[in-house]
Amino acid sequence: EETGEDENFEYGKGDFTEHACRYCGVQNPACVVRCNVPSCRKWFCNSRGNTSGSHIVNHLVRAKHKEVCLHKDSPLGETILECYNCGCRNVFLLGFISAKTESVVVLLCREPCLSVNALKDMNWDLSQWCPLIDDRCFLQWLVKIPSEQEQLRARQISAQQINKVEELWKTNPDASFEDLEKPGVDDEPQPVALKYEDAYQYQNVFAPLVKLEADYDKMMKESQSKDNVTIRWDIGLNKKRIAYFVFPKEDNELRLVPGDELRLRYSGDAAHPAWQSVGHVIKLTAQEEVALELRASQGVPVDVNHGFSVDFVWKSTSFDRMQGAMKTFAVDETSVSGYIYHHLLGHEVEVQVVRNTLPRRFGAPGLPELNASQVFAVKSVLQKPISLIQGPPGTGKTVTSAAIVYHMAKQGQGQVLVCAPSNVAVDQLAEKISATGLKVVRLCAKSREAVSSPVEHLTLHYQVRHLDTSEKSELHKLQQLKDEQGELSSSDEKKYKALKRATEREISQSADVICCTCVGAGDPRLANFRFRQVLIDESTQATEPECLIPLVLGVKQVVLVGDHCQLGPVIMCKKAARAGLAQSLFERLVLLGVKPFRLQVQYRMHPSLSEFPSNSFYEGTLQNGVTINERQSSGIDFPWPVPNRPMFFYVQMGQEEISASGTSYLNRTEAANVEKIVTTFLRSGVVPSQIGVITPYEGQRAYIVNYMARNGALRQQLYKEIEVASVDSFQGREKDFIILSCVRSNEHQGIGFLNDPRRLNVALTRARYGIVVLGNPKVLSKQPLWNSLLTHYKEHECLVEGPLNNLKQSMVQFQKPKKIYN
Amino acid sequence: DDEVQVRQKVVKVDPQEEADFDRELRALMQESLDSRKLEVRARPTLNMMIPMNVFEGSANHHHGRGVEGDSGDETLDEEGGGVKKEVQVKVLVKRGNKQQTKQMFIPRDCSLVQSTKQKEAAELEE
Ligand SMILES: [Zn+2]
Ligand SMILES: [Zn+2]
Ligand SMILES: [Zn+2]
Repeated sequence: EETGEDENFEYGKGDFTEHACRYCGVQNPACVVRCNVPSCRKWFCNSRGNTSGSHIVNHLVRAKHKEVCLHKDSPLGETILECYNCGCRNVFLLGFISAKTESVVVLLCREPCLSVNALKDMNWDLSQWCPLIDDRCFLQWLVKIPSEQEQLRARQISAQQINKVEELWKTNPDASFEDLEKPGVDDEPQPVALKYEDAYQYQNVFAPLVKLEADYDKMMKESQSKDNVTIRWDIGLNKKRIAYFVFPKEDNELRLVPGDELRLRYSGDAAHPAWQSVGHVIKLTAQEEVALELRASQGVPVDVNHGFSVDFVWKSTSFDRMQGAMKTFAVDETSVSGYIYHHLLGHEVEVQVVRNTLPRRFGAPGLPELNASQVFAVKSVLQKPISLIQGPPGTGKTVTSAAIVYHMAKQGQGQVLVCAPSNVAVDQLAEKISATGLKVVRLCAKSREAVSSPVEHLTLHYQVRHLDTSEKSELHKLQQLKDEQGELSSSDEKKYKALKRATEREISQSADVICCTCVGAGDPRLANFRFRQVLIDESTQATEPECLIPLVLGVKQVVLVGDHCQLGPVIMCKKAARAGLAQSLFERLVLLGVKPFRLQVQYRMHPSLSEFPSNSFYEGTLQNGVTINERQSSGIDFPWPVPNRPMFFYVQMGQEEISASGTSYLNRTEAANVEKIVTTFLRSGVVPSQIGVITPYEGQRAYIVNYMARNGALRQQLYKEIEVASVDSFQGREKDFIILSCVRSNEHQGIGFLNDPRRLNVALTRARYGIVVLGNPKVLSKQPLWNSLLTHYKEHECLVEGPLNNLKQSMVQFQKPKKIYN
Repeated sequence: DDEVQVRQKVVKVDPQEEADFDRELRALMQESLDSRKLEVRARPTLNMMIPMNVFEGSANHHHGRGVEGDSGDETLDEEGGGVKKEVQVKVLVKRGNKQQTKQMFIPRDCSLVQSTKQKEAAELEE
């Protein structure tokens, strides 16, 4: 059975050499020697780093070890250093002497051999005995000093760290620096920094945070088992069994996504034996149902519908790949260019210009014309090894990214890698890039191959299945057989796998651009690929280690696209989040002084809707690429308090309640008013797909969905088609009309999720034509940003109350905002 | 094509650390010497003859990798007219009972090659 996609694949192990200096990682054979004490046998280099003695001398002194052996690829070959005369191996006694007349030298010990008078009578010159260890360093012509570049790229280790690790080796000879940094169970982890001495320190900081998040994720997901699940059975087009069922969730809990693995169990009854099977989520329906494609097709109890249990199957793949990328970053000098290496670590690097001939025009075929700020971004990015593009909502991030990728691909530096943390964003980019005429391969995780995608024709698995050449007919025959029978004989299976792998490789290699998620860039199918140019979209939603995965494949030029004024990566483990895992690489680079190119013209929102976000989040720089006329919803009769200003804050005084599950909130009056607003929109001719309802709480989300279905004045089906979701799941998308239900309404507690300015920014910038915000101004006005939003609405006479068909200006008093946010 | 200019930070070695380390190093050296002196043992017999083949040119000797200077790039070629910064020496080592020579480059200013240089100078004067 094919369990994982990563069998026999060890992340980041590929380039690790055993002869790397155990202190600093330098691995040039001419610069390292091995400690020859049998219980030790560690390698060390001859650089001083930040200490007074070289690493090898440091080790010998600290560990009181005295013998060494040269590397087999060093000028003298694999040689244990010893006295030519007596065989003494104590390096603290050894030195070279030369012959009187010839250019011949030998190692001789100081005691006793050097003091033997008889030697003087021979051909040797004893007056110039040259000790092996001089100035706390091995003779540099025997064991070379690593170059400045090699030293800069190495782990920057201090004398204290050396003492600590030597101490640790006394009890655990295999201990690593990671062990040195390991926090105790109750310790707070070491927080992220702005700058790092080296990639090892970087790894020492991030590896424990990724581990914390992985452990938390595992614990969360494995505790998500649900019993008494009711199943509806179906068969897919590929003849595989599909189970449909409802998998309820709470705030802060995992959101199932296509590709997740679940185990379905039945404990058995008189007529059925106990049964279980693992499957992949292939879709989530609007009716909140999960569709699970089962791996097993035999013995499924399809005549039973009740009493099933569902468990989450946790996989460590994405976390393993992050850890692997950090390791590769540290030990493999070719993983990223020297410039990028030092830049990412926050070292001061002289500005570097990428010398490429610039195209005459910066747009690309198949894409809309670029505006001035987009052209400027494309042009600037092509000349820099590292650049950031900030794309506020609706400013054409994807088109700009696609244009950059187009020009990069035309520079002939090999294939371009294009990534984003989410599959949705990768699909969008792949589609746009493909429109320029470039050859695009969209690499999907194996577990997502059954998930439908808008760019299916670009996916690798689709292209493998549909490649139309005679050599491939063998593969197609086997594929057909496998589809029909469900399995192949073991020899056929072997042949099938080999053919498939070869075909995958061939197709991937012939592409101009490979598109995949950040985690997907660690797919074993890309293990032997190198990408000098990488673009990462939505990079502000990825953690640093996630962003590193596509970078360590040899990057020399990287473009990070995102918006640090919108939501960042989701970190479930509070400890890891507190330590800074939620800060993206993009943000850290901004803090390090890299100035992002900001796209300045927004094409989404009615100018009235963009005004507040522009002033509050983008220093007023956001310009409107759409006019009021273009965003006039003609023929739609909706009671906007100010015509030409399709927005209002609808004052709600209803109480918040704890949801039935006890872990979330809901607000009945707000839900009832959401239904009334939705109904008014629908009546005036708006179709359901144009409307989005945003609410930060799962309790309210479920309540609104239910309420509309039961109490909606119009056909039930219309309400079912309306998307009701969290702020987070609307990021990156838009709707013509947005209704935002804030829920929280109490005098004493906080406003929870709504406290994050970035979440408010996202919520306010999804609508193209109009927005209605429902909330309690008394509560919300305590927070400075909400206070200014309320003031903005009030000043424009858009703060209203009363029934929808008779809205009146509200005179509700705001509270003084608490002085400092954060 | 990956030239990168990183502004070097000045490495400051903690003088206390340096002093501590120096003390430990000297102690280890002294201890090594003492242990040899105390070993009550006959003076070693000498086995230091330079094998004849060393004198007969060097064509067939073992060459360690890197003799051509893959790290010893400081060596200027003679045709180039520059002063050679390094001199080639043969290092005599024992593998079991067998003698081997390996070629290496040693900086010209190393005390080890002073005698060779003096000899060359003497020859020149003659
Ligand atoms: Zn040792
Ligand atoms: Zn080292
Ligand atoms: Zn000796």
